[in-house]
Amino acid sequence: MSTPIQSTGRLPQAGMGGRQPAQLADVLERVLDKGIVIAGDIQINLLDIELLTIRIRLLVASADKAREMGIDWWEGDPFLGRGKSPALEDRIKRLEAATGLEDGDGNEPGRREESEKSG
Amino acid sequence: VSDAVTPRAETGSGWYVYGVVPAAAASDELLTGTTAIDASGAVAFVADGELAAITSVVPLAEFGEAAIKQNLHDGVWLEQKVTGHEAVLETALARAPLVPFRFGTIYRGEEQVRQMLRANAYLSETLQRLRGTVELGVKAFLDPEEFERGQLGDASEEPGDSGRAYLLRKQRDRQLAEARAAFTAVFAQESHDRLAAAAEDARANPVQRPEVSGGEMILNGAYLVRSDREEAFRTALATLQSINQPEGVRYELTGPWPPYNFVDVEPEQ
Repeated sequence: MSTPIQSTGRLPQAGMGGRQPAQLADVLERVLDKGIVIAGDIQINLLDIELLTIRIRLLVASADKAREMGIDWWEGDPFLGRGKSPALEDRIKRLEAATGLEDGDGNEPGRREESEKSG
Repeated sequence: VSDAVTPRAETGSGWYVYGVVPAAAASDELLTGTTAIDASGAVAFVADGELAAITSVVPLAEFGEAAIKQNLHDGVWLEQKVTGHEAVLETALARAPLVPFRFGTIYRGEEQVRQMLRANAYLSETLQRLRGTVELGVKAFLDPEEFERGQLGDASEEPGDSGRAYLLRKQRDRQLAEARAAFTAVFAQESHDRLAAAAEDARANPVQRPEVSGGEMILNGAYLVRSDREEAFRTALATLQSINQPEGVRYELTGPWPPYNFVDVEPEQ
């Protein structure tokens, strides 16, 4: 019990908002970027998730400083900001169109429709 | 053409899946004290055969295809839901082996969840493999000042603002930077290897930026450790700490975590 290792240990009753930013980074890293991926019925656009995890990897980071300064850590990030970034949305749409991931209206061709009909 | 996509709000409910446990472990006790990812719901099992999914019924107005796409951009929402997902799994983790799902796996009905359990036999194999293990995280940080002191010993800095002193300081800084880069590269690999030797499996993940960790992170590792070898793992870590402390290295242990780092990310169907 006398190891000099600092252990953050299990989080006491892991409630929401009770985490330190450093721990939040660990959580985001795992929950959004790891864990088993099995297709659900609700499709989250792959490109969205990918962009998100890239942003998370770069961003989680700023939490500490930002909170110290009394601002939310995602503020100022064009992707995680509360408002949408028209430029980024536009870029995503163009990428989607180019890669054939989606049609222009955000519908994935030939997917999920059938489950609606038969279900 | 249009600058904004206005999502059609979906109505009805979806089944959010946090993870999967063996059906034999799926008792109410396992979920005692959990709070659902959506305040309106509860956490409950959907079981089929040997497996049970930990689920919550969620409103599609919030978790439907269009809505979730929007919500992912909302930092407050995202932090809350991601923390909620983790909290449920942490509670269950204490009493059963589990396969953690990535955030946002949602089905249209209970029957679809059962189908998923039936269609994915490898979930049972994964649970078998994970039985009796925990995921531990180890982060290592380098204190640049301590590292410098360790490198320079008592050598004092050339005082003054002469051209000569300036050049010497420049040279020293360059040498220190090189020594530090060399040290961190070797150190990270060595530490990771030693910890991996005390674990069943290991992953070295990208380091986090200094702003979050409050220091220069040089190792961000995840280790799958047998519960009965956890003490040995901690001893290995303590040994590393005592060896590397003089160089300005500090280790931080986190967990136990659901084994996020040790499930196939996209398993073969």
